[in-house]
Amino acid sequence: ALSAYKQHSRRANRKDWIKLIYSSSLTPQQVLSDTPSKSSKADRDMDDDFFTVKSEAVLGGGDDEDDGDRSKEVLKEEDFKEWEDEELLDSIRGLFITGTAEP
Amino acid sequence: MTSTNNALLFSGHQYLRNRLVLSILSGKPVKIDKIRSGDKNPGLRDYEISLLRLLERITNGTVIEISVTGTALLLKPGIIAGGSITHECPLSRSVGYFLEPVITLAPFAKKPLNLTLKGITTDDHDLSADIIRTVTLPHLQLFGISEGLELRIKKRGSPPLGGGEIQFLCPIIKQVRTLNFVEPGKVKRIRGIAHAVRISPQFSNRMIEASRSILNRFIPDIYLYSDVYKGDDSGKSPGYALSLLAESTTGALYCAEATSKPGTAPEDIALLASRALLTEIRRGGCVDRKHQTLVLLMMVLGSEDVGKCRMGEPTPRTIQFLRDVRDTFGTSFKIVSAESPNPDAVELVYSCYGTGYVNANRSLA
Repeated sequence: ALSAYKQHSRRANRKDWIKLIYSSSLTPQQVLSDTPSKSSKADRDMDDDFFTVKSEAVLGGGDDEDDGDRSKEVLKEEDFKEWEDEELLDSIRGLFITGTAEP
Repeated sequence: MTSTNNALLFSGHQYLRNRLVLSILSGKPVKIDKIRSGDKNPGLRDYEISLLRLLERITNGTVIEISVTGTALLLKPGIIAGGSITHECPLSRSVGYFLEPVITLAPFAKKPLNLTLKGITTDDHDLSADIIRTVTLPHLQLFGISEGLELRIKKRGSPPLGGGEIQFLCPIIKQVRTLNFVEPGKVKRIRGIAHAVRISPQFSNRMIEASRSILNRFIPDIYLYSDVYKGDDSGKSPGYALSLLAESTTGALYCAEATSKPGTAPEDIALLASRALLTEIRRGGCVDRKHQTLVLLMMVLGSEDVGKCRMGEPTPRTIQFLRDVRDTFGTSFKIVSAESPNPDAVELVYSCYGTGYVNANRSLA
């Protein structure tokens, strides 16, 4: 789990944030995803039917609760399973004053 | 997202609060259309209407027009007046939803704000009264807003029925100090507040114990306070929550919070909060995710100098906020990777040239 996180971080580190934020038309969610692409949008455009079913995203969050204007993240127990790993807990010791210097 | 005729144009119901705040601070009218236009239940929600009412009362001369269907909105901002105000919040959102935008406006008011909000004090969506008191307000101190800044939790109120009450006191300032905060430091202490209302106070002790089982290994300086509110002060519904904060040697604050859900044990809630706190600490930076937009906004308003702050990866909210700030104030941030001593974290340094925002309302007094 730790190495996966590291890899994710490294990839993210290479992003050109200024360009992604200020001169692209990607949605914030797309900017943060690992492979920024507009594939989902392109798929929709392919449908040339007169009636198109609007996707959840277009409707702006199908379910009422998720309105995007919340300041707390959704906490899901599954997302925090990794912290059951002792090794991972030990890996952040260096961020506390009681921890030893970075290995 | 273009501005014609000096009015800002936005679409959609998302990020509404930030956009209203930017409009009021900049004095530029804002027009928002397509508010849930494709929804089964289109238009503004009751809490959004309530927020608009609150903003109208805090300001003087603000004109708000809402279309018949409620899917479009025009706000012409007046001056930020402040003063003594009481507002009843709907039970669909907690007081945090209303307080967050108000916190960014109040320092620039004509008179110091004394705001009483009634409703739910802790819920899953927005910052709870505890987090605002212990984490959000100290962030304002970074910018020189400190004396007389206070949040009192008079009564607690859990969802669904609420019944809580808080009082927010905010001083006025002339100008915001420029921020230069690039040293995250190391975590030196952890504090927490566990509260349980309308149920056995034993629940908060169980949360504290469970949380310590994870956090004790890192640091000895942990103090988790069990906050007991009795009788009428404990609102109308049962509920409990654990708010945690970690403070670093340089004053960086990380926070996390989990609230009770039906059918979960207090131990699980405590584990959730503790692990969320560790996640936040691992992300590094000087400001946690929940406070990115607040700090960035104050940096934009800072005096005409370069402000710098080190933070983790931006959240979707922050990204949209950065775009909206550019549309409103014309300020772009420079975002570069920080040389991080912690190889696990994505840390970025955000810097911008402050707009030199001066509280013009104050000088009128």
